[in-house]
Amino acid sequence: MRKLLAITLLLLGACGQQDSGSGNTSAEGPAGEGVAVIYTVNYPLAWMARTLAGDAARVIFPAPAGEDPAFWQPDTATLLQFQQADLVLLNGANYARWVAGVSLPASRLLDTSAAYRDQLLAVEAAPVHSHGPGGEHSHGDLAFTTWLDLELARGQLQAVAAALQQLLPGEAGAIAQRRDILDGELGALDARLVALGRQLAGAPLLYSHPVYQYLQRRYQLNGRALHWEPDQFPEEAHWSELESLLQTHPARLMLWEAAPGPEVTERLAALGVTVVVFAPMANRPGQGDFKTGMEANIAALEAAAVTAAPPQSAGG
Amino acid sequence: MAGVMGSFYLGWRYLRHHPGKTTILISSITLIAYLPVGLSMLVDEGAQSLRARAAATPLLLGARGSPVELTLNSLYFSTDTPALTHYAALDAIEPARAQAIPLYVRHQARRHPIVGTSLDYLDYRALTLAQGRGFAVLGEAVLGAQVATALDVGVGDSVVSSPETVFDLAGVYPLKMPVVGVLAPGYSQDDRAIFVDVKTAWVIQGLGHGHQDLARPESAAAVLKKEGDRIVANAALVQYNEITADNVDSFHFHGDRGGNPLTAILPAPVDDKARVLIQGRYQSHPQLQVLQPRAVMDELLATVFAVQRYVLVAMAMVGTATAAVVLLVFLLSLRARRAEMETMSRLGGSSAAIGSLMLAEMVIVLLSSVLLAALLSAATLTWGGPLLQAVVMN
Repeated sequence: MRKLLAITLLLLGACGQQDSGSGNTSAEGPAGEGVAVIYTVNYPLAWMARTLAGDAARVIFPAPAGEDPAFWQPDTATLLQFQQADLVLLNGANYARWVAGVSLPASRLLDTSAAYRDQLLAVEAAPVHSHGPGGEHSHGDLAFTTWLDLELARGQLQAVAAALQQLLPGEAGAIAQRRDILDGELGALDARLVALGRQLAGAPLLYSHPVYQYLQRRYQLNGRALHWEPDQFPEEAHWSELESLLQTHPARLMLWEAAPGPEVTERLAALGVTVVVFAPMANRPGQGDFKTGMEANIAALEAAAVTAAPPQSAGG
Repeated sequence: MAGVMGSFYLGWRYLRHHPGKTTILISSITLIAYLPVGLSMLVDEGAQSLRARAAATPLLLGARGSPVELTLNSLYFSTDTPALTHYAALDAIEPARAQAIPLYVRHQARRHPIVGTSLDYLDYRALTLAQGRGFAVLGEAVLGAQVATALDVGVGDSVVSSPETVFDLAGVYPLKMPVVGVLAPGYSQDDRAIFVDVKTAWVIQGLGHGHQDLARPESAAAVLKKEGDRIVANAALVQYNEITADNVDSFHFHGDRGGNPLTAILPAPVDDKARVLIQGRYQSHPQLQVLQPRAVMDELLATVFAVQRYVLVAMAMVGTATAAVVLLVFLLSLRARRAEMETMSRLGGSSAAIGSLMLAEMVIVLLSSVLLAALLSAATLTWGGPLLQAVVMN
């Protein structure tokens, strides 16, 4: 009876209604009405989308140059542009935390790492805490520089290509061709890194920042991460920590996101550690693109690996 | 002709001379004529509107339970919360088959439903903004046109969610939500709702929250005990009841997003084939049911129409009785006016002239009643819906 009353009230309430049912943005590609607009949260995805779509779409990566897109926060105007995009490419692995706190149209979002969610790496967990009735929980997170495992990057490429083919059905054939070429190029870079990992054979390494987790896992590197910034001279306490670490982890190479100052390079050299710049490429490079940047990274590591690799045993 | 006009003139003068009796007669006959017609019009118009909204919603997915409750909550934002499903069910819908829109309709702000959804909902219902913009950041709200008027709030103001129960002192804190947009009137239930991102609805529920970082030294006062990596907070822990640019980064959700609740999912199939495939997939699903809201509403309205028929029969009986009373009043009136008629006869009035005078009085009363009933029906057609809507709302 109560339900019937509710329905009747609803019915009456519905009467008379006429139901309506009845900073520095990097933009590449043609502008104008009718051109698909694609927004991305980092440079590798922008590079993939741009290479795959060619002139058929406008690819926009709005994070300013020099900022880490993982921690950059778009302003409201940029956020509204994200909302208007035909496709928003997300990296997944909780990359760009701002995404979790905003409203984006779910139908136009693509988590490019969704296909390999089970392969994502957890970073060192934050303290477990509890308050109220919710029980214990931790704000621990996932490592997010997924594309440094080039096999995972190839997976992201496939996801981006499939989304673009759906968005631009007229370009599906061309996108497939470009995808195959790009996949081959990433595969070749991956093979070089696999060989490099074998050459290093577990030799101890250092990382200036904890961003190389996927590189380490895929290419079987043996690195330890510090929290050193390229534009800052580390405090003496940090140098002491490093010296202690070198006692147990005698690394001869240290991978940096960007070249540190000459004083840092010299002091590291004095400790027997050579600086190798291996840029994660999360933001657009000053010159070249993702592929040339990765080639430069690999070349630098290949050149330095000669000194770091353990000596080959006689007679193999 | 002059005789007929004279009869009508004298009849008119007589009725004006007895305003009480005339008013009662006209009112009674007007109501007899108007009530069944007006009720039918209201019900038909309401049914048409409800059916239109249901027809504009091809499919509805939700937890198994009452289909009526699920439909009423999802389409008309009724206060009864249906059985809950989870966000994982939305993730399970292939984007190639349907655009899936989440709905979490559970909370209210000053008796207006808060609809947790995604921006896609506004496109789905073809809702446009009269002021401001759509919600962009966690905690922002967009108001339906009637809510903005009823609460007298607009862009730049804020609305506060209401606790689920008044005595829930240990429950979730009310969330203060800045209003960033007001929708243009859509003449539907959407006008009476407050729209937020589904994540904001989860924050209202307490599934997501923001607080001080307990690992930081400045939060020491809020720490009850610390054992290694485990920190237990005390009641002094500050939890934010408003999401601002300064604290938005501290807001977080516990557990997997897929486990968070939804009241329903609106799948918008890309074509008929996709619709059939989705229906087939959930036909015998143990936890979920897929509905065609139009079919649910048709079934419901059939019940309402059955009730309406009983009401109309009752009205017809009351109408017949009233008509009989009116007739009796006329007959008694004739008897009471015998002396008056004899006087007219002595003055030279023929029986036909006296009869036509009486008939003219009855015709004037009947015509006035029919005219009034027609005016009331027209008014019902024009203003009845919104008026009743306002009555139901308040």
